[in-house]
Amino acid sequence: MRVWVVIAAYNEASVIGRVINEVKRRGYPVVVVDDGSSDRTADASAAAHVLVRHPINLGQGAALQTGIDFALERGADVIVTFDADGQHRAADIEKLVQAIRVADVDFALGSRFLGCSDGVPVARRVLLKAATLFTQLTTGLRISDTHNGLRAMTRRGAGVVRLRQNRMAHASEMLSQIAASGLGYIEVPVTIEYSAYSLAKGQTIGDALMILLDLFARRLYR
Amino acid sequence: MLLTSVAVYAATERRRSPVVALLSIIAAAAGLYFTWTPDHATQVAMWAGVGRGVDLVLYIWVCISLIVLLNLHLKLRRQMELVTVMARTIALAEARHRLSEKAGRRRLPEAVRDR
Repeated sequence: MRVWVVIAAYNEASVIGRVINEVKRRGYPVVVVDDGSSDRTADASAAAHVLVRHPINLGQGAALQTGIDFALERGADVIVTFDADGQHRAADIEKLVQAIRVADVDFALGSRFLGCSDGVPVARRVLLKAATLFTQLTTGLRISDTHNGLRAMTRRGAGVVRLRQNRMAHASEMLSQIAASGLGYIEVPVTIEYSAYSLAKGQTIGDALMILLDLFARRLYR
Repeated sequence: MLLTSVAVYAATERRRSPVVALLSIIAAAAGLYFTWTPDHATQVAMWAGVGRGVDLVLYIWVCISLIVLLNLHLKLRRQMELVTVMARTIALAEARHRLSEKAGRRRLPEAVRDR
């Protein structure tokens, strides 16, 4: 089973090298999509098997879709999306891939609330719970976590994912596409290691409102 | 004239943005109706607590402006989607090119590679 790990990075020069090396140590090929960074993210990503560079900054959703397209082109059987800010553990990739294999599903979604993710700030926890409830109501998916960037999908699963939300709303968009596809999914406990750096990069209530507006606006046109 | 042109604009947009087109047509139709029948406009205005019929038409015009603004925003989003497709195509083509160059270099004999 050919597994590719896709990392979307925007101005992550200080951490991306370490993240790539951790994933590579597990034996997975890594494609980093540098989303038009203005710092030295591209140089720091030299260890990646492939570096794809957006000429301009488009957003995490756009970068992930680019990475998924590239991995599909390279013949990936399973594609794992992994955050660039160092909050995911490379050891969890195997758990996701294993879950896909054993449960015979097309998506394995990481869940911090099933796993051990200590130190989730209260405001973040409330925000994530509200987002999860919203996703459950709008998609019908029975999931415990949403907007978790650690997920794995089979080639067939990746085929139904077509992210048009360039920015943060892509996570909700992907979940609604999973629900619409009717393909099987499973949640897998994963660990999120919060650091001052990842918290600073995380979403705020203002971002959550923008996500809602983005999702609403996308329904208004074809 | 302005309200009629809004209705025509809405009709041309109905394929791309059905919701916006519907809202624009409703607002433009209401505006046209109340402009033609000022007595009705005054009655509805009094019922709605606006006061004068002409104010009601003005408010409808403001609504139309906001709807058209929303449509412009949606058009910008569509443009952004096209830009995204273009940027992705460029990025993937460059990555493929770099990979094939790297593979080519690996295939070349050392003496040629160092030149």
